[in-house]
Amino acid sequence: MAKFVGNRSRSKEGPRHVTGRGLFTDDFQLPGMLQAMILRSPHAHAKILSVDPSEALINPNVFAVITPDDVKKLTKPFKPGRYAAGLKRPIDEYAGAVDKVRYVGEPIGAVAAKDRGTAEDALELIQVEYEPLRPNVDVHEAIKPSSAALFDELGTNLAWTGSLQYGDIDAAFKSADRVVTEKLKIHRYSSTPLEPFNVIASYDAASKRLTVWVTAQVPEVIYDGLREALDLQDVRVIIPDVGGGFGQKIHLIRKYVVLVSLLAMKTGRPVKWIEDRSEHMMAGGHACAQEVEAEAAVKNDGTVLGLKFKEYDDVGGSISTLTIHFTNKLNNLSNTYKTPAIYMEGHAVVTNKCPVIPNRGIGKPGMCFIWERMMDRVAQALNLSSIEVRRKNLIQANEMPYSTISGNIYDSGDYPGLLKTLLEKIDYDKLREEQKKAREQGKLMGIGIVIGVEPGGRNAARDMAIFPEMKEPPGSGGVNGAKIKLEKNGTLMLHLGSPNCGQAHETTTAQVAADILGSTPDRFSTSIPFDSDLSSWGVAAANSGNNFHLYDIGAIHGAATKLRDKILKLAAFNLKVEPSELTIEDSVVKVPGAAAKQITFAELGRIAYNNQHLIPDDMEAGLEATHYYTFPFAKPNIVPGADRKVRAQFTFSAGAHAAIVEVDKNTGSVHVLRYLIVGDNGTVINPDVVNGQVYGSAAHGIAVALGEGFMYSPEGQPLTITYLDYGKCSAAETPRVEAVHQPSPSPFTSLGQKAAGEGAAIPSPAAIASAVEDALQPFGVKVCELPITPEAVWRLLNHNPEKERRTF
Amino acid sequence: MKQTIGVTVNGRLYEEEVEPRILLSHFLRETIGLTGTHIGCVIGECGACSVLLDGKVVKSCLHFAVQADGREITTIEGLAKDGQLNPVQEAFVKNYAFQCGYCTPGMVMTSQALLQKNPNPSEEEIRKALAGNLCMCTGYVQIVDAVKEAAKGMKNG
Repeated sequence: MAKFVGNRSRSKEGPRHVTGRGLFTDDFQLPGMLQAMILRSPHAHAKILSVDPSEALINPNVFAVITPDDVKKLTKPFKPGRYAAGLKRPIDEYAGAVDKVRYVGEPIGAVAAKDRGTAEDALELIQVEYEPLRPNVDVHEAIKPSSAALFDELGTNLAWTGSLQYGDIDAAFKSADRVVTEKLKIHRYSSTPLEPFNVIASYDAASKRLTVWVTAQVPEVIYDGLREALDLQDVRVIIPDVGGGFGQKIHLIRKYVVLVSLLAMKTGRPVKWIEDRSEHMMAGGHACAQEVEAEAAVKNDGTVLGLKFKEYDDVGGSISTLTIHFTNKLNNLSNTYKTPAIYMEGHAVVTNKCPVIPNRGIGKPGMCFIWERMMDRVAQALNLSSIEVRRKNLIQANEMPYSTISGNIYDSGDYPGLLKTLLEKIDYDKLREEQKKAREQGKLMGIGIVIGVEPGGRNAARDMAIFPEMKEPPGSGGVNGAKIKLEKNGTLMLHLGSPNCGQAHETTTAQVAADILGSTPDRFSTSIPFDSDLSSWGVAAANSGNNFHLYDIGAIHGAATKLRDKILKLAAFNLKVEPSELTIEDSVVKVPGAAAKQITFAELGRIAYNNQHLIPDDMEAGLEATHYYTFPFAKPNIVPGADRKVRAQFTFSAGAHAAIVEVDKNTGSVHVLRYLIVGDNGTVINPDVVNGQVYGSAAHGIAVALGEGFMYSPEGQPLTITYLDYGKCSAAETPRVEAVHQPSPSPFTSLGQKAAGEGAAIPSPAAIASAVEDALQPFGVKVCELPITPEAVWRLLNHNPEKERRTF
Repeated sequence: MKQTIGVTVNGRLYEEEVEPRILLSHFLRETIGLTGTHIGCVIGECGACSVLLDGKVVKSCLHFAVQADGREITTIEGLAKDGQLNPVQEAFVKNYAFQCGYCTPGMVMTSQALLQKNPNPSEEEIRKALAGNLCMCTGYVQIVDAVKEAAKGMKNG
């Protein structure tokens, strides 16, 4: 019986964070530890001619310098990952640039010194000679044959092109009454975790063992990266408290872990590296700028028969995440709609900008943006209500589980129901009246209503769908583990298989396990650091891909269930009853109705570890259980077949969003008057935690839409390397997001839970675009590009001065 | 050239030799080992390193350690007494006014300073007071609610 799942429960992480007792990587000090600084390129595109560290090494407090020659000699390139699988020729990517630099801030070496100041001084003494090349900052320029290629091996900056077709797209367009087209653009942005990258590496040369402490989201990327690059067998990855991840701390950070480890190996001392804010903003990874040409084949009643889109991704100066924003669109390719035919075409263009990384939803905000902007366009073209057009195409609640055209299986959801509640909550008809009045007074008020799915739980085989040449998937489904132990004193210890970046994993898992074990969350402690030596982990041990609800909760649920069976067996033996006669309440195992027949967890703990003659002969001593979870409903479509259909993710949350905005026509600034979400995240385990995910993800999506983002000069110099230049929103600019839960529990997961992490970051940019366009409706302008900065709005408003005079 | 300074932190006097270029934030974290003060930008934009200097909230990355000579500092470690959270800390825990915990010490210190000055702030005043403290995780809703609740608690207590 759920006593804790679904209810408020005191945070287990909170007390340490509010007292400053969280332990982040930078908080650790090891004896003899040196400090590292990274040598970075000041050029967007250049050949490295020579690197001379001799002057820096004169100072006895400078212990080592790593140069491109060292990187080439002492390390191996990373193996091409799943996102580089489509390259016609494999390209070696080392931890540092070895021949060329391809973006400002690209690491080309590193220094280890007694302290940070000395390391910073030493950087300035390293002489690097470059031969600058013409930078590519615009995707369309970059793919011209006359542009300087970033990778000589490719000979072109159009590094990858591919397409997928589901359903009969030609028939859809032939039978359409109308074809609606639009060009859309999304810019470069990032969730910019407040804790920057940091690493401590310590190498024991005698036993060839490398230990790293690192702020990272996916242990596998670090673990495999180190073993590949440094050719080591014995690697230990420890991930303490992580000060925000959002996708930033998955891929690029492995380069730095390798460079810092090299310094540790070279000096024989532990080495710490702490990235600074400007380094992070220029080289820590950006979400991909995406340009899309979309076409919808529609019937006059608003039915969308087919969707085609062609996408150009500005992937920056690396091939390692080349296709990620495109492939990721498979996760929510159908969004909430029944459209029977979809064609997608991707073009990944390398440019002299920061490499792209997965950021909160990766390609999913882009896919939702395409759908939701197109739904508004269809409504405009057919002179229908944009809500009616959506309703016409929505997958219905009674069609669940629903197989989408690309092979996803939507587990549960009531999309018309979410939309209905949303419209009621904002009192839509009244709002339209208010808008009318506002317009009469010359005020530009707008309402944006959108809907989006939020996929959760990653399938490692997904990317194979876009690579017909791939024979074997890089992995499939997902595996993650967890351990639970009843200690000698009757308390309980949880050991999770994946790191926590602030999503309350300790609190939530304790609630789940407490219900199963008949205990209370306060009796649980959680071993906090992820430790590759100790944690039970697999490919899905990732603070990414919206994995937690599926793989971690699944693993905890499984481990707790196993431990419960053990507890009952040991208790039954000692109470001389059958396990089926027992219940557990408040950490006491009892026979209901027989007050004398009971035994406490503490008593059982003492027996399990101390007292062999009280343990049944057919039972293992100790009270510990480990469970590795795989999703039991991962078939069909776990691996793409000839039809390229694949389950990109396994659960499908959803949210209907309403944005109500007012635009200042003099300054172009947009003020969010109200932002409301009616969400379905399945069974809510902890309402405060899920609300926090919804608020935070929505706030970021709104900020992304309204102006935060990265900018470059025509020379490829980053112009936004501080929070202020980048335009990060504070509490003063962020609207109060409201969240209403209307869950449709998943029939496939342990407790009916679905994802909540990427959450509202997926539909919110589309909601804001829709609302601003609605506000500007008297001007007859379209919002097709993010970010919608005051300048962008002002330009839209002043594009057609004739019209403005007529309206006002 | 190192200089000797005497700084009272959380009621205890620390006498240390420091380089003049050492920032107060690094002094707190590295010289005297109080790692609850976090560093997110080192240029005064993010507020993770906020502490109270002679009772006023400052960003410790914008001060040199030598500027704190002879003065009193309260860091996040100085708020709870014998494991008992103070009203702001308790309200933060209760309201889930944090996620990753990295901005939290700075948020708590700034909220503490606000409530000392203005025990009954409006939502707008809270948001303005916190505008120098960035949080990438929460969207600020639960932080604002925590400050409101702490204000209520302090009034009643």
